[in-house]
Amino acid sequence: MAGLTFALPRTVPAVKVRRRFDVTGWAFVGPATLIVVGLSLFPAVWAFFISRAKWNGISPGVPVGWTNYARLAQDPDMLAAARHTLLLAALFVPASIGLGMLVAVALNQRIRLIGFYRTCIFVPYVASAAATGILASFVFNPQFGAANQVLRTLGLPTQQFLESPSQALYVICLIALWGEVGFTTVIYLAALQDIPAELVEAAKMDGASRWRVFRHITLPELRPVTVFAAVWQTITAVQLFDLIYTTTRGGPLNSTQTVVYYIYELAFQTQRLGYGAAAAYLLFAVTLLLTLGIIWYSRRRGSEVF
Amino acid sequence: MRPGSLAGGAAALLLLTTACMGGTAEPGKDAAAGYDPNATVEITWWTGQTEEAEKVAERLAAEYHTAHPNVTIKTSTGAPTTDDLLTKLSAGFTGGTYPDISYAYGSWAGDLSASGKTQDLSSYVQQPSFGWTEIPEAARQTATSGGKVIGVPALVDNIALIYNTKLFDQAGLTYPTDDWSWDDFRTAARTLTDASTNTYGTAYSVSGSEDTTWHLWPLLWQHGGQILDGTKPAFNSDAGVAALETLRQMAVDDKSMYLDQTDERYWRLFNSGRIGMMLSGPWSLIELKEAKLSYGVADLPGFNGDHQTVSGPDLWVLFDHGDANRAGATRAFTTWLTSAETDAKWNLAVGNLPLRSTEASTPEFAAYVKEYPGGQKFFDNLANAKQARPTAPGYEELSRNVGDAIAEVLQGKSTPKQALDAAAKKSADALVN
Repeated sequence: MAGLTFALPRTVPAVKVRRRFDVTGWAFVGPATLIVVGLSLFPAVWAFFISRAKWNGISPGVPVGWTNYARLAQDPDMLAAARHTLLLAALFVPASIGLGMLVAVALNQRIRLIGFYRTCIFVPYVASAAATGILASFVFNPQFGAANQVLRTLGLPTQQFLESPSQALYVICLIALWGEVGFTTVIYLAALQDIPAELVEAAKMDGASRWRVFRHITLPELRPVTVFAAVWQTITAVQLFDLIYTTTRGGPLNSTQTVVYYIYELAFQTQRLGYGAAAAYLLFAVTLLLTLGIIWYSRRRGSEVF
Repeated sequence: MRPGSLAGGAAALLLLTTACMGGTAEPGKDAAAGYDPNATVEITWWTGQTEEAEKVAERLAAEYHTAHPNVTIKTSTGAPTTDDLLTKLSAGFTGGTYPDISYAYGSWAGDLSASGKTQDLSSYVQQPSFGWTEIPEAARQTATSGGKVIGVPALVDNIALIYNTKLFDQAGLTYPTDDWSWDDFRTAARTLTDASTNTYGTAYSVSGSEDTTWHLWPLLWQHGGQILDGTKPAFNSDAGVAALETLRQMAVDDKSMYLDQTDERYWRLFNSGRIGMMLSGPWSLIELKEAKLSYGVADLPGFNGDHQTVSGPDLWVLFDHGDANRAGATRAFTTWLTSAETDAKWNLAVGNLPLRSTEASTPEFAAYVKEYPGGQKFFDNLANAKQARPTAPGYEELSRNVGDAIAEVLQGKSTPKQALDAAAKKSADALVN
């Protein structure tokens, strides 16, 4: 139990054990429990049974055991989708953390209009990803978009952006970053303001340069937030859907088809609910493992956030 | 929670799940046997229409109720878009609250028929008074799945060649005729293409959806090919390869084809005068009229004089609720709705082709042709829709695989033979199960 940090006293006071059904307690947790069980747990368990059937939602389902899972392993579309998802996460997570930290440090200054700048950075995060996607598809339109207009003015060759199979995923990553950097910035800003001023002052007294203060005081103090941001942004990247739906719909040539988008296609476009549910369960398992991996790694490094 | 109660909970869930995924087919019995036309019934109608057409539908339902006060028709669109209707129906089957009559895309017929919740109208539509044969052959085939007639066609259409007369005049070309070959089409597309003005000879959707796929079928049929052979994919035959090669030459070799990554842009570009020719259906006429473009319509180009086209009929699917009076009332209403007299006030009024050949002599049809030039051509072109898309379950997935194959080939990433073979291999599994 050494790893858990509960703010509760370890020694439970020796109260009389009440075997009576505690109505008041259940009255408090009841409604929330009902909602969680009814809207989260029940569909999740049901989805597991669906994942072991061949079912299109319309004709009766046929149980097929683990066949759906076995087929997933050999499905070239699934493998391609997994590759796209991993690439997206590998680009998106470090970039959003790095950029967020950079912007937060820049905004953690006493300058005029600081509130205005902070708001500007946060606004894209508040905008829905669907709106961001629609806006971005105007900007990156190869024929009439602003991005190519800029390239033309600079005398550079115009690009296909979202319509090129080799560029689309990177453009999507860029759009996602534009929207999400506001989030990491805000949590880093909060964390920066929590760093004790004495520590920084003491280091400065000892003659540390600004870079060394950042490297040896700020960065270690930010570590728990970084772990949290890594987990959170990994989940965001793995579950990215609305942006892809509004920009490329998985195209061109399925080059932006991530696992979540593939699941949507399977379940709601081609009506293969069983196979889609199996893919969803696989994604759940992988996300869980990834998260546990990050937490385990950070605990070994001595920071505890979860 | 104790392990025992967990296991019990899981077992209860399993039971519930099995119940949810099951069907309620009752074979052998006619759904409307013993129907009493005077019984008071309430039936639910999902129209799948957009705002304007929905208003017309509600007016028709009210009109029917006035004539038959014992029948109340609860009319709604059913879902925000027509595409969402299938999801709504599937949820409705699970929850037991599906409608009596619903709009459906023809490509859903196989899946809906397999649900076991549709009525079987096979003998009903054969009554002489129904006039089943007045409806185009391809549409009747689409309404028939698994040997059962599961509904009545709601909308008929087909694909023809729409061309921009101004662009043809500028290029000094003669307008397309009904006798054009695909070589004529290719030559014209090449001549019309002008990179300096961003003008393309023709366009094709490479989104990989059904819009991508079904434009290939007429070419396949013209070459003598088939989509399916029994339950096996057959579109990767020599005919299929030759059909796709025709398109590939224009997209890759000539670069005379605008490739649309969505289904939304090519017709907008055509309407704004950037594309010389597009293969599209009567639904385009409404927007062409709004764009005030001067255009002409001709039969599809042909191969060896075969100019057959493809039709994408939609259906009114009738469902069985185990209540003869409801089933009977639903049939009576659908018969009225699709009769020549009512259909003229419905399909022609909202800008669609008439459902029945007998409507050609109505004043509504004369008004339609006058309002939408080219409407007559599309009506005549119904005779060229000789084959229907398969209504077997699994067509949706086959369509997606073929759509991906076409998209790959037209973007120069694969050859027709290679891509179609791969699509056939992927689809084989979905069709058998």
